[in-house]
Amino acid sequence: MNEVIDGGLFSNMINAGAANLHANRELVNDLNVFPIPDGDTGDNMYMTMDSGAGELSGSDEPGIGEAASRAAHGMLLGARGNSGVILSRIFAGIAEGLEGVNTADVATLSKAFKKGVEEAYKAVSVPVEGTILTVYREATEYADRQVSPETTLLDYFDNLVDELRRSLDRTPELLDVLKEAGVVDSGGAGFVYIAEGMRKVLTGETVESSSSHAASVKKTDLSLFTENSELEFGYCTEVLLRLQCSKTDVDAFDMPALETWLNDEGDSVVAFKDGSIIKIHVHTRTPGHVLDYCQQYGEFLTVKIENMTLQHNEHISKDSAEWVKKPHKKYGIVAVAAGDGIKEMFSSLGCDEVVDGGQSMNPSAEDFVRAFKNINADTIFVFPNNGNIILTVNQAASIYKDAEIRVIPCKTIGEGYAAVSMFDENAQDADFIENELKEIVSGVVTGIVSRASRDARRDGLNVVSGDYIGFSGDTVYIDSPDRLTAAAELCDRLDAGSCDVVLIISGKDVPGEEAERMSATLRQKYKRTEFIVIDGRQPIYDYIIVFE
Amino acid sequence: MLKLFTDSDTDITPEIAGRYGYGIISMPYSIDGKEVFPYEDFEVFDAHAFYDVLRGGVLPKTAGISVEKYISYFEPEFAAGNDIMYIHFSRAMSGTFEAMDKAVSDLRQKYPDRKFYEIDTKGISILSLNILMAAGELYKAGKTAEEVMTRVETEVNKYTVYFFADDLKFFKASGRVSALAGTMGTLLGVRPIIYVGEDGKMTSIGKEKGRAKAVDRLITYARELGDDVAGHKILIAHADNMFLADMLREGLVKEFGENLDIEIIDVNPTIGSHCGPDAAGISFHSIHR
Repeated sequence: MNEVIDGGLFSNMINAGAANLHANRELVNDLNVFPIPDGDTGDNMYMTMDSGAGELSGSDEPGIGEAASRAAHGMLLGARGNSGVILSRIFAGIAEGLEGVNTADVATLSKAFKKGVEEAYKAVSVPVEGTILTVYREATEYADRQVSPETTLLDYFDNLVDELRRSLDRTPELLDVLKEAGVVDSGGAGFVYIAEGMRKVLTGETVESSSSHAASVKKTDLSLFTENSELEFGYCTEVLLRLQCSKTDVDAFDMPALETWLNDEGDSVVAFKDGSIIKIHVHTRTPGHVLDYCQQYGEFLTVKIENMTLQHNEHISKDSAEWVKKPHKKYGIVAVAAGDGIKEMFSSLGCDEVVDGGQSMNPSAEDFVRAFKNINADTIFVFPNNGNIILTVNQAASIYKDAEIRVIPCKTIGEGYAAVSMFDENAQDADFIENELKEIVSGVVTGIVSRASRDARRDGLNVVSGDYIGFSGDTVYIDSPDRLTAAAELCDRLDAGSCDVVLIISGKDVPGEEAERMSATLRQKYKRTEFIVIDGRQPIYDYIIVFE
Repeated sequence: MLKLFTDSDTDITPEIAGRYGYGIISMPYSIDGKEVFPYEDFEVFDAHAFYDVLRGGVLPKTAGISVEKYISYFEPEFAAGNDIMYIHFSRAMSGTFEAMDKAVSDLRQKYPDRKFYEIDTKGISILSLNILMAAGELYKAGKTAEEVMTRVETEVNKYTVYFFADDLKFFKASGRVSALAGTMGTLLGVRPIIYVGEDGKMTSIGKEKGRAKAVDRLITYARELGDDVAGHKILIAHADNMFLADMLREGLVKEFGENLDIEIIDVNPTIGSHCGPDAAGISFHSIHR
């Protein structure tokens, strides 16, 4: 069959690819976990495709070579995001493969598509398998192997789309971060939608034209990055640089040196040169360095810098669509705590959910079930951190059926800290972990400093109402009108000098510098012991001191 | 003549370099945009001052060097008719070696008769230092370049390093350790134990609570993996924490006896930018990595 594809058909296919991606871009956004889970892959790829489509005039196009070249140029100028930049390189390779061609048969088209693989891999400094790179490569290779003189364009696209889907399904096997999140690669998924859209042109199915979609401009909720936010992910930085003859040798410009520099400055580097234009995509914490460095050689055509932590926060703040599975993990962790500082401590130690509660504020079984539901894990370990809460947890565990619940019966925040901080998710199995944690808990002593609520005679001491008492378990060791004295004395009595680590957690009524002052004195006194201070901001207990 | 080179990422100092005649290729770090080349921009590394700056919350950056910079080290040797042996830190840890390759291939065209020998220590810090000191001893004993290459290449995987970090934020910022203690964002006395594998990359292989247990764990590795530990040089590295270095030395002496060839080394500032202050580790001769 002597079927060929001309500029007009190619142009319609690019438009249909863009439109089909547009229709599915939210699905692609929600898959986005690599390299940064900021939920914009679908948007970025669509905007890239759209700026390619914008260069084409539909069925009036001359040759396919000319059309492909114009589309590639548009994508170069409009490429956004990691997957978008890679996508633009794929089409640059296709354009190269079709250069000077008026109408292409299946074999020519297939060779040109394979050329896209080369260009895409070349542009990425550190190619990662399990991404759009793999999906596109495997599918074009597979489709090319099936090409025979009888192959129609539709056969070719059937083969291509089938293998794209199969390869996409294999991406979690190649990239752990996808497997852990229970998703397939977002960039690869984006390409599947593009290829499906292109195929629809051949079957005569209508795809809504992308010209009806204004490029979606997302309104960013700036309140999600506050005065106290931490810059977790850096900035997605993209520039289009025009090399200047006055600054550098435009033709002999040293791209490897630029890439080396970019890789040291950040990651997810994609950089390539097209004539005197250089496109750069890099994730960096210091975009200013990138701009300064680039400007040594040229001037900017466009610059885009986006705070990926903000995007990430926005992505997770959206009530994510039902069909997106919560990241699946083998083990989940739930701890009970009161006080913002202590809760933060447990979160940063790796707890998936921290249930509000503690002394005289016991959470309900329902609170625990809600926490369990928020975790997609085979086994969930629970750290009640209070003797009065253990029964409630057991009750919640008995009614929850979607995961195996294991309760580590820690009775204090100190025991919970000791256990959670040494939780080893790489250990052989849940039994092993449970035994290890129980053993760790048994070696911990927790001391508490709190105000006495009434006069009493305890453990040979005259406890005076309003004084500070230092106790551990049921034993009161010290009564003092001075909080610092009570805390320091408690450390002596509980043998801080024989411990490896002593964690001092100060309560909400304790001024910040007091705990630091105390630990400085203790460090002088007990040189082999490591003292760590945390601003726990917990109610009731002025100090929780953990001895290990 | 053969000229030996190494780079400052191996913890070499001008004093140690002088023992064997190594030239030092300086690998830079930068603080607030100001780039510093160790042993070029200063003569003596003031570890305490440097790590105190990091304790104050500064996260330095590190970078590779340019093709021109490599050429500036190598070309004068070639021009003088010398061959070069460059024993360097792990290729798997930096993109800088692409620039080196380019420099070497340019120079090979210009000086076709000169030889360039390259040994990848697949390590960093004292692991690399241990290997290059062994190589330096061989060369001093009169071995030819080829003999040194053959011997050292079989020994590369017979030296190992185990260390622990005190604060994860430096490694997290650099992303250069895999499997880093799960999802922990904070350490609170927990120390991830890290080693460098045969792939030349850093991997976290567990954690210990407190200094004493972390030190014990390192000594346990020396006991179980060690191969004639006492008959080879043992290096202890620390990022401005002599207390930890002494604990490690005491542990080694207790395990292997008094008669040990131990040197205590400051972690160089470029690697220190990744591991952070108060990291410490040991490198010893072992049956494998």
